[in-house]
Amino acid sequence: MGLSLTVNGDRLASAADPTTPLVDILREELHLTGAKPVCREGFCGACMVLIDGKPTPSCLMPAALADGCEIHTVEGLTTHGQLNRIQSALEASDAVQCGMCFPGMVVSLTHLLTTRPDATREDIRAALTGNICRCTGYERIVDATLLALATK
Amino acid sequence: MITGFPVQAAPAETRNATSSVYIAPTLEAALDALSEYGAAGSAFAGGTWIMRSPIRHEPLRAHYVAIGKIAELGAVRIGSDVVEIGSAVTHATLAAALADLPEFGVLAAAAARSANPAIRAMATIGGNLATLDFAAADCVPALLCLDAEIEVAGRDGRERMKLEHFLEIRPTLAPGRLVTQIVVPRSERKTAHVRLPLRKAGDYPVAIVSLSASVDAAGRVRAARIAVGSVEPVARRWERLEAALIGRRLDAEGAARTATELANEFVGRDGVDAPAWYRVSVLPGLVRRAAAAALGA
Repeated sequence: MGLSLTVNGDRLASAADPTTPLVDILREELHLTGAKPVCREGFCGACMVLIDGKPTPSCLMPAALADGCEIHTVEGLTTHGQLNRIQSALEASDAVQCGMCFPGMVVSLTHLLTTRPDATREDIRAALTGNICRCTGYERIVDATLLALATK
Repeated sequence: MITGFPVQAAPAETRNATSSVYIAPTLEAALDALSEYGAAGSAFAGGTWIMRSPIRHEPLRAHYVAIGKIAELGAVRIGSDVVEIGSAVTHATLAAALADLPEFGVLAAAAARSANPAIRAMATIGGNLATLDFAAADCVPALLCLDAEIEVAGRDGRERMKLEHFLEIRPTLAPGRLVTQIVVPRSERKTAHVRLPLRKAGDYPVAIVSLSASVDAAGRVRAARIAVGSVEPVARRWERLEAALIGRRLDAEGAARTATELANEFVGRDGVDAPAWYRVSVLPGLVRRAAAAALGA
């Protein structure tokens, strides 16, 4: 049975096994390497993508259940090469970490900005509890998110 | 276009090459499929436990029946006497649905504090109940202290049973059976759910105490249900502590003192996150916090 995935607006087909974690298809078939399969338990957030608009650890999403969904990876969050609001704020705030956890952070924070325009510092911290950064750069990331929220 | 060349999903040695996933459109279709697959099949809801099978060196089943699209399993119905929760309701949905019902604070807290936001949007209450080896499932002690009943369906019909009984028969549940609904009675009560993870978020709790108590006008306990999770392999009620609290004023320090006297009835489980003795030793402190939270302190 073939799979039909819509990734960053492109409709694609895959013959992968239906229980294959989505992160493996993204990386190994599509070469979208922003999502990182780090813990493979859904706890580190490095593989976070948006599925039908919701942050989802792509290591826990079997390909079969992503069939027919709208999938957005970090690579799909820019528009014509322009950074989105949170990406710009992170860059402006020197809040950019190494590339391991950061794509997942950007995905989670993009969702937060979309759904919680009134988010507080505590809300931001709560939203990031599924994104673990071993560089411990959270403070600047939270500050940058507040900046992005204040930037209309 | 994806060319469809083979995916190397790690760890490869425990991943089946030919697992199938059937997305069931209705409950009847799901039960038919589960019945046909027998022991080779399993229900698939949030997938947060199943997709980690390779990490536990457990092979995936040959067939999965995805139940997330079945409307009746994804609904929370709040009636005047009971709350009915479909087994495919996610933790996030459940927490939101119960947010305005103080008597269900224990269950709302269990659903709202487990794991992390993305996991809570995937993991289901049915998965919490049906997963055999998940000792740290938050919703199980919360439902035990709320006197919940579980509906289990098969192609031959449905039956409802107390959660305690379900937990007893769970290891021997025949293939083809599916948890479909959780029914929780409504009543006036004070409740609290207290968990001890080693980090504030993301870790499994070392120990869990869920408490439900009804008190009279003078603050004395008329009825109490206290359940402990994660300390032993399966969550269970702490009936001696419940009995000891009856007729007394519910106060945090007193409850903790009694819990200290009675804690030796628990035989903790060793785990990579905490040794057995530690899980037992933190129980009185969790009882203190639960009583204080239930009292609104």
